[in-house]
Amino acid sequence: MAATDREMNPESEKLQFRLDVPFPSPRDAAIALGSLSPDREPRKGGIDKQLTVTDRTLTVRWSAEEARILRVSVDSFLDNLSLVLETMQMFAPPASQ
Amino acid sequence: MTIVIGFEGSANKIGIGIIRDGEVLSNPRRTYITPPGQGFLPSDTARHHRAVILTVLKEALEQAGLKPADIDCVAFTKGPGMGSPLVTVALVARTVAQLWEKPLLGVNHCIGHIEMGRLITQADNPTVLYVSGGNTQVIAYSERRYRIFGETIDIAVGNCLDRFARVIKISNDPSPGYNIEQMAKKGSQYVELPYTVKGMDVSFSGITSYIEEAAHKMISSGQCSAEDLCFSLQETVFSMLVEITERAMAHCGSGEVLIVGGVGCNLRLQEMMGVMCKERNAKLFATDERFCIDNGAMIAQAGWEMFRSGQVTELEDSWITQRYRTDEVEVTWRD
Repeated sequence: MAATDREMNPESEKLQFRLDVPFPSPRDAAIALGSLSPDREPRKGGIDKQLTVTDRTLTVRWSAEEARILRVSVDSFLDNLSLVLETMQMFAPPASQ
Repeated sequence: MTIVIGFEGSANKIGIGIIRDGEVLSNPRRTYITPPGQGFLPSDTARHHRAVILTVLKEALEQAGLKPADIDCVAFTKGPGMGSPLVTVALVARTVAQLWEKPLLGVNHCIGHIEMGRLITQADNPTVLYVSGGNTQVIAYSERRYRIFGETIDIAVGNCLDRFARVIKISNDPSPGYNIEQMAKKGSQYVELPYTVKGMDVSFSGITSYIEEAAHKMISSGQCSAEDLCFSLQETVFSMLVEITERAMAHCGSGEVLIVGGVGCNLRLQEMMGVMCKERNAKLFATDERFCIDNGAMIAQAGWEMFRSGQVTELEDSWITQRYRTDEVEVTWRD
């Protein structure tokens, strides 16, 4: 199905969105990645999302065919990211605070 | 000594509980209650959970008198349930598991109910009736699986009750089922409603659409009151549940029944099941609203069993899932 998508709608024709989130340390970025990467996108069609960590930055790249599908995914990711950040701030072990 | 914290939020209840070797140390919970006539939608429910979860987590630790370092394992509901609420809870569980460097355990929600029921009642090997807003199953343990002997072929019994509550616009506080139960006590007339048992299974969509359509007509024409309908609905659906439970008991030669899940709080259901059990010389077990309604401690308890028998969930396998059959889990903690 991915192959057909590319023939019909090559990557260059899709909407691309990138988000970079800096963290205080590489470990913090890795924790965020660990929390945010396991769940699959609810609507399998029309959206692709990749999460990576480089040093202490979490990078998220989206590629979508339609703006509204992109908006929903980015919106919900930002809500989830906020929750993870708040959890990290409130419950980090005393040593690292 | 093993201390497990459990996170639950698959429907409109968000609960976090801590268990130490069979002792419930804390079990705080919040319920997202919608106005009369309205059900709860996934995105609103997730928003509710997101707003309170960290407060509830703090409460769980404080009420147990524990620090994160004291926890041995972090358990959370992997599924089944509503997507976005499940994700909200899983995010916090995964984050604290990594922050505190503790193993993570994804738990099946239905098994959480079963294991909590077993712990609280000490039932030996019961036929389990699991009834809630989202699930209706008759379960028995056999050879390392909780086998589903009978279930609803469409909607859960609690879903039928909740939808009827919306039709007659009664309060959802503390829960629609509780308010139907109170109204049913004042019913004086039995109204015949469709009764649908199919072998080992039940179906509630027929009675639901019937009563959704007929309720207003019957009440406004003076044929019967809303209380009469509450009474008649309970008598009908609970009889169906007693029938399929009895059928499973006969198959398994079982002498015990354990009722779990939110609908299990209903005293009329317990009473009717008790009558059947007495006729069969069987024992009935049930828990109170602290444990039949979704809560964190039940997830902690199932997690405790799983963890002690050597199971752990890797982060990459910790994705949540809306569909998760009770018999998919290998019950490694029982013979």
